[in-house]
Amino acid sequence: MPQNPYIHKGLADRLPKWLVPNLSAIHLVAVFIALLLIGLLLVPVAQVMIVAFQDASTGAATLQNFVDFFQTSLFRESFWNSFYVSAMSVVVATAIALPLAYITTRFHFSGSILIQSLGFIPLIMPPFVGAVAMQLIFGRNGTINLIIREKFGFDIPFMNGLNGVILVQSIHYFPFILINLSASLRNIDRSMEEAAQNLGSHGLRLFRRIVFPLAMPGYIAGAALVFIKVFDDLGTPLLLNVNNMLAPQAFLRISSIGISDPMGYVISVILVIFSILSLWASFLFMRGKDYTTVQKGGGGMAKRILKTREKFLSYGVVIFILLLVLSPHIGLLLLSFGTIWSYAPLPDGYTLQNYVTMWENSKTFITNTILYASIAATLDVIVGTAIAYIVLRTGIFGRKGLDYLATAALAIPGVVLGIGYLRTFHNLDVPFTNEPMASWWVIIALALMIRRLPYALRACTAALQQVSISLEEAAESLGATKRRTIQKIVIPLMAGGILAGFVTSFATAAVELSATIMLVSSNNDAPLAYGIYLFMQTPSGRGAGAALGIVAVIVVAIGTIASQVIIERNKKLKSSGDSH
Amino acid sequence: MKHTIYASIATLALTASGAMADDKITVITSFPDSMTGPIEAAFETAHPEFDLEILNKKTSAGVKYIQEIAGANTADIFWASAPDAFEVLKNDNLLADVSVTSEGIPELIGSYPLNDPDGFYYGFAGAGYGIMWNERYLAANNLQPAKEWAELAQPEYHGHVGMSAPSRSGTTHLTVETLLQGEGWDNGWAKWKRIAGNFSTVTERSFGVPDGVNTGNFGLGIVIDFFGFSSKASGFPVDFAYPTITALVPANVAVVAKAPNSEGAVVFIEYLLTPEGQAVLLNPAIMRLPINPATYVNAPEGFPNPFKDSTIGAAVEFDVAKSGSRYNLVNSMFDVMITYRLDDLRDAVGAIQAAEALHADGSNTNATALIAEAWALIDANPIDEAKSLDTDFAGIFTKKRKKVTDKVGERQAEVEQRWDAMVVANYARAKELANQAAGM
Amino acid sequence: MKKAGIKIENLHLSFGETEVLNGVSLEIKPGEFFAFLGPSGSGKSTLLRAIAGFGPKPKGRIMIGNKDILGLDPWKRNIGMVFQSYALWPHMTVRNNVGFGLRERKLSSKLIKTKVDAALDLVDLSHLADRMPNQLSGGQQQRIALARTIVVEPEVLLLDEPLSNLDASLRVQMRRELLRLQRQLGLTTIFVTHDQEEANTTSDRMAVLDGGVIQQIGSPQELYDKPSNLFVANFLGTANILEGKIEILGNNKRFLTKTGDSLSLSEGSSTVGNYIILRPQNISINHKKSKNSLPGKVRHSEFLGSQIRYIVTAGGTEIVIDQSHRAGQDWFANGTDVHLLVNTSTAVVI
Repeated sequence: MPQNPYIHKGLADRLPKWLVPNLSAIHLVAVFIALLLIGLLLVPVAQVMIVAFQDASTGAATLQNFVDFFQTSLFRESFWNSFYVSAMSVVVATAIALPLAYITTRFHFSGSILIQSLGFIPLIMPPFVGAVAMQLIFGRNGTINLIIREKFGFDIPFMNGLNGVILVQSIHYFPFILINLSASLRNIDRSMEEAAQNLGSHGLRLFRRIVFPLAMPGYIAGAALVFIKVFDDLGTPLLLNVNNMLAPQAFLRISSIGISDPMGYVISVILVIFSILSLWASFLFMRGKDYTTVQKGGGGMAKRILKTREKFLSYGVVIFILLLVLSPHIGLLLLSFGTIWSYAPLPDGYTLQNYVTMWENSKTFITNTILYASIAATLDVIVGTAIAYIVLRTGIFGRKGLDYLATAALAIPGVVLGIGYLRTFHNLDVPFTNEPMASWWVIIALALMIRRLPYALRACTAALQQVSISLEEAAESLGATKRRTIQKIVIPLMAGGILAGFVTSFATAAVELSATIMLVSSNNDAPLAYGIYLFMQTPSGRGAGAALGIVAVIVVAIGTIASQVIIERNKKLKSSGDSH
Repeated sequence: MKHTIYASIATLALTASGAMADDKITVITSFPDSMTGPIEAAFETAHPEFDLEILNKKTSAGVKYIQEIAGANTADIFWASAPDAFEVLKNDNLLADVSVTSEGIPELIGSYPLNDPDGFYYGFAGAGYGIMWNERYLAANNLQPAKEWAELAQPEYHGHVGMSAPSRSGTTHLTVETLLQGEGWDNGWAKWKRIAGNFSTVTERSFGVPDGVNTGNFGLGIVIDFFGFSSKASGFPVDFAYPTITALVPANVAVVAKAPNSEGAVVFIEYLLTPEGQAVLLNPAIMRLPINPATYVNAPEGFPNPFKDSTIGAAVEFDVAKSGSRYNLVNSMFDVMITYRLDDLRDAVGAIQAAEALHADGSNTNATALIAEAWALIDANPIDEAKSLDTDFAGIFTKKRKKVTDKVGERQAEVEQRWDAMVVANYARAKELANQAAGM
Repeated sequence: MKKAGIKIENLHLSFGETEVLNGVSLEIKPGEFFAFLGPSGSGKSTLLRAIAGFGPKPKGRIMIGNKDILGLDPWKRNIGMVFQSYALWPHMTVRNNVGFGLRERKLSSKLIKTKVDAALDLVDLSHLADRMPNQLSGGQQQRIALARTIVVEPEVLLLDEPLSNLDASLRVQMRRELLRLQRQLGLTTIFVTHDQEEANTTSDRMAVLDGGVIQQIGSPQELYDKPSNLFVANFLGTANILEGKIEILGNNKRFLTKTGDSLSLSEGSSTVGNYIILRPQNISINHKKSKNSLPGKVRHSEFLGSQIRYIVTAGGTEIVIDQSHRAGQDWFANGTDVHLLVNTSTAVVI
């Protein structure tokens, strides 16, 4: 039979049958990704978990380390403190987010743009950078307290001990709750509220019995996310000198006592288990409770017009929160332009010198950051797209497992990943050289990649879901192989989502600290975040460190805005076409 | 075409941090970038054939690191402040015995020998310890600067002092050990605890102390001298003083055993000892005491000169061997008794100070007795000096059991938990007694 | 349950620039099943919601019984409303949904249980008391929504397009249910719909709305047989409209079409108007000419089961004629010249 000249032979067809029996290229890709994830995520984390269950000297299996952990009051305290700080951060973040969500969804509020930007500003300041600035403004002898003490004779312990961590984290993470809460409030159909009013309910009673329960699932989703992120965060407590929490304890034990210290591993296990438990609990709570009730043609809840008194109150609340949210940014800006800032509400004088110093000394940091973040983001979108395609378009065995594995990286704290990498790659050498792999800069990029993969995967999955499968089927019926279809049809159509995913990955990888701080062994390999950390370790470096912090903020801001713009533009293009 | 590109990128990546055309010298150091930077720049200008690769690790982490990679060592130089860290490595046979030529370098700094008599490590700069303060803070709180350790224990400084922990900072470790050797084990610990009762915080890294003083977070800090000098040189409203009980110890540099580039390593050490290399130490970001007396000609106004001023660092003869043998044990004790229980300690000491203020005249003998009892509880230690020098006991804190058949004594966690229980009880009781006394 | 009448006087309501209700006045007798009928955008839902107290405050008067409730908060009006989407709260059981209003009125839990049971019984859904709303079918949800409203014994019941979310077969069944329930309880009820069949089969009287203005109020039959304007005529059933003018020659009233045909008018018909409305079933199609006939030509025919519908070009326009179908009867083929005999006693002049 003559070959149809218009049908291309795929890669798998050209290889000898015995080498690739019935496995298509996609199978190979899936296997490769599985190996990648196993090697870069599962193995290091498993190593960490295993060491925690081993006797430090004999290697025999034991629970002794855990017993030691819970018998040591310092660790019990750290555990409790981590839990307390996370829970209180959720509470304070809710206190900030709730009035804002309420105002935007219940009233015609002309300052809505203001509130939307409030949901964005905190996220562009990496929390550990904000911590330094907050210390200057809210610290024991910071701006606010100096002024209050002079005028009123007392001070407010904003930043003392755990309070400082709670304050910094709440201000940084409340947007998660704001966004989720607003969305779920907006998803409540107007008739839900009107039906209750019709039957005699109104005001707080109505809110309590109808509105809030319906908004709960969305709220819980946001709250759980905040809880986990605060629980796992290393940078903020470290820079605030709060050491009696789990994440800093793990870091300190490993970095000062060494990677043979079992306690660092025990803490890692507890961090991971707790993260997974929190995620699981929030899923459990949300199961069967998707309360999205908006009917077609229905709107969210009715919006009232504000009375004058209420208008004042609303604007007051919003501006107060805005100032609070901007305080780290303002503090950082002042520090970056300041000469000396010591025991005074404001710097003594202003200069551009810090930026000059920063620029002269940070070229390596910046180039490293661009290198690592690019590698991480590129690998993220490639792997993310591949996994998304495998999960959504094929029936390959274990594809769900691949999805879960990639997403599981969410539950792994950066410090644990760092410890795992040190341990796993400790005895390996980089191929072709004599260097220990653990101090090779590439593993920093790989750690960043793994940490950002869940987000990239989500972006790629969303992008692929918008591409109707019939578009692929049309191409294949015209003779294109899977590979060409993916190359020529699927990926170009996903381009917007992929790009957005890349940009977000890049921007957040650029300022990651928790895993980085564990893995950087030489200053030459240090990225931005570590560079800021280093600058902050010298008397003359604070101003330059702040200047570098501003650079970091700008990088993240540009990344976030760019990704939003790309997504919006993509939406406009798509809305004219057909989605599945 | 594509293949060639991929291959080149791969090679580039693999060699990016690796062997370049220049001769590489790998340096493990605890010194910050602000110090290693200028020195590295000066060295590479003087010796362009070499490329210095700096790996920054805290002292104890650096020691651990060298111990861990000993099997396939890739480090050439270990460069840190604390001589006792070098002792630890020397005892583990992880340093190389090299001969280094230099000119114009004396034998002693203060009363301390600059170099290891066995030739395993060399001094290149001197450092002392002292008290740094923020002038604005003191003015605002009506305080005078403290010039001696004992002054820091005085009630007016309650809540105004900051310090790092020996476990986190080699230089702090030296400070603690110096006082222990100078005042004796029991008195030394007692002094530390009373001073710690005035702490605002124990910082995570030694830099946290000058940083806290610079920003005015707390008023006084126990710091190594160059932090004080460089902060002042940077323009902060701070000042520094050496107490009489202080050791002037050299900051050291050594070649690691089985170094890949031991020749280059020796060149680096020798450079540090040249007048050129010594002069870099006067850089305002560095401000360490040079060990070549001739360098002081170019020192700024007011910069101390240990070779001219004999009061600096003469009071204590630092026993490095003793320090090394109980290195981890001292770290542990400080953390358990002070760092982790700072709030309890501070409350207890504060209560006692308040009680003392009320009974300043000593007329109420019951109260005075209670106060004395309370102090005794604060001062009490879980172990005495003899135990600290017991190698088996100290060995618990080092986890260097190589063979399964090595005796498994108590675990470190167990010992620490016992100590913790003791101090928690003591501090609580002390506070109780103090409150009682105050009520009388 | 006490019956209350509803009186709306000169209601005006604007959304910004747009006038949504323009001088609406009507009166609903106690116990009446009254429909608001109209196309979308006619203002019928707005009017209903205004009575319930939702939306911007209108100008005018809304009386329930003797009380003017305009401006009163929705929760203070004793009016029950069933929403188009039923609005059952997904996080509460059926029982708790139904008992919500009673809890707001602070009744004892024992009393609540009794009343809820009675209400569920009334709609035949007692066995579903402990289910969650997402476990119910559309029809069941609607009945629960109804039970929820009835249980608080409102003075007036408002139904906002309650049947439009159900599928066709269920709709017929449900509207009979609704009517039966209403008769049993004697509640004054307003039923909003865009479907004339629903309005026709259930309401005692109805109001047709268009553009925020009431076009006509009356019983379904009145509105059908005697529409007061073209809109009503077109909206209810099919209307054949001939343009022309009235000619009065002594005792004879005739309608002269634009095409020159002349139809005699009955005694009682109006003497002013430019249009005559003819219903399809009131025209017969014939070969022979007669006194009140229009000549025309058959253009198209459709078999509708019980009727045959002819489209005949006559009088300058296309006339729709519905003729009862009897088996074996001959059809008029396309293109045939025919005469349309008009029963002018049923014709309406507007």
